[in-house]
Amino acid sequence: MPTEPCSDVLSVDRETRLALLRLVLLQRLFEERVMALYRQGRISGSVYTGRGQEAVGAAAGLALGPDDVVCPLNRELACHFARGVTVAEVFRNFLGRADGPTRGRDGNMHFGVPARGVFPLVSMLGDLVPVTVGAALAFKRRRERRVALTFAGEGAFSVGDTHEGLNLAGVLHVPAVFVLQSNRYSYSTPVERQMVNTNLAERVAGGWSIAAERVDGTDALATYEAVRAAVERAREGGGPQAVEALTLRMHGHAAHDDARYVPSGLREEYETRWDPVSRLEERLAGDGVAPAELGRIRDDAAAEVAGGLAEAQASPAPDPAELEDGVWAAPG
Amino acid sequence: MGAAIGAAWMGERPIVELQFADFVTCPFDLIVTVAAKTHWRSGIALPLVIRMPSGGGIRGGPFHAGSPEGWFVGQPGLKVVCPGTVEDAYGLLRAAIDDPDPVLVFEHKGLYRRLRAASPPAGHRTPLGRAHVARAGADATVVTYGSGVQLALDAAERSTADVEVLDLRTVWPLDEAAVLESLEKTSRLLVLQEAARSTGVAGLVLSLVARRGFELLDAPPALRAPPDTPVPFAPELEDAYLPTVDSTVAELERLLAY
Repeated sequence: MPTEPCSDVLSVDRETRLALLRLVLLQRLFEERVMALYRQGRISGSVYTGRGQEAVGAAAGLALGPDDVVCPLNRELACHFARGVTVAEVFRNFLGRADGPTRGRDGNMHFGVPARGVFPLVSMLGDLVPVTVGAALAFKRRRERRVALTFAGEGAFSVGDTHEGLNLAGVLHVPAVFVLQSNRYSYSTPVERQMVNTNLAERVAGGWSIAAERVDGTDALATYEAVRAAVERAREGGGPQAVEALTLRMHGHAAHDDARYVPSGLREEYETRWDPVSRLEERLAGDGVAPAELGRIRDDAAAEVAGGLAEAQASPAPDPAELEDGVWAAPG
Repeated sequence: MGAAIGAAWMGERPIVELQFADFVTCPFDLIVTVAAKTHWRSGIALPLVIRMPSGGGIRGGPFHAGSPEGWFVGQPGLKVVCPGTVEDAYGLLRAAIDDPDPVLVFEHKGLYRRLRAASPPAGHRTPLGRAHVARAGADATVVTYGSGVQLALDAAERSTADVEVLDLRTVWPLDEAAVLESLEKTSRLLVLQEAARSTGVAGLVLSLVARRGFELLDAPPALRAPPDTPVPFAPELEDAYLPTVDSTVAELERLLAY
């Protein structure tokens, strides 16, 4: 089975296509590196990756405007990079360094970067749906042309806060965009065991009257175009929007999980035919981008990952004497 | 609750009103997971106020009469206030709105009608984190908050001894210095609260005194609090459950006789 190139969405210009390629490569190469570090015992705790879902985070992050805000989860590393978060910042969080985004207080993908409009992930998936609605409500109240975006997967669709947030978004008609990550598994539970109607777009449109579109989440150009249009509609007063991105989570839930519950044929099919990184490279090759230039983008991404890691490794460890600082903004 | 957190992230100062404090179980996760931990993890301040009527005496039963402040006492990142006077109901709420942290305001629903006082001046603030000596005394200290304040003042009037009443006002974080300072004067402690005896604030106060005030004491600390059950409905049961002036005076007399 040959790799299927991304669809040729004519409205996505060459510059955006190249930017998307840089982002999906950064996530892919970062996660391969961080997984190796974890297996060498050089990363504590755990490692979560979004292998197979890189195009979704990259597309959503790039589709937002400079003043928009986002609550990414743990499969959307490329979204952080799209918002301007650096490789070194993310590595510092995985390594628990003093100058990382959480100063060693939280690990792996559990971080946000306030200066970039990125709210920190919490493990209780579904919580950030209503938080996103609240940020969007603030924009609406102040008549600011800004949009708030978050992600939610099949697991979050079994959590009440997700549905409370979606309902409120519709009732308050706020500029919020929900990117639904249909990656077929909630940890080890296949989607068919998680819900009867597995079409999240249909559920969101029918249940909460939120405009929702389904896209192939391994197709970076199609996903970018769908999220960009949704962000634009939200910004223009069209109320909340949803885009369901269909993918396969090509790793386990976390580094310790070998995901043997995923049928091997399914995983192989995605590895060869529906890999979002290969698909975008195929598209760009078809666009006439020279192999040397594609190679250079890959090399640059690899160098960015290596440079960021070296920078983070030179960062100091946190000082236990500062542990109690910042529990409260005003300790009194 | 999540929407209020998101709005606070964007610099708004939302006030969430729950119909009854018992219902704080529903947004519990968002309060302790997101509101409480975000500043410590990321430096994002969440200026959020959560108002909720708590307490019994209105025949509300197990789901409309609870005093669940203890669930949040000890949770890093949250502040918990329990006004016991008209002035503090206004002053603590205004201070909570001004504050950059998430503040839970437990307003005793019995006090809404039971207390009468002139409005405090506009702009009045009761500082967060500071206890208040509601009545000065030399023989024993009653540490209390919320509905316990008036109860303790009435009990102190009826007691033969010279009783000090310390109104915590902010129950978390605890004004430890105020508790220890009072015990230096009186050497006897009664903790009075409407929350069931193994929850609320009593454990925090008693642990503080055991660790840092043990040598100040002339008698084992006493506790007047309801039994460890949900709040009952029937008048005969609820009246027996809640602390009263009589039962507080009796506990005080036992403490003073030791």
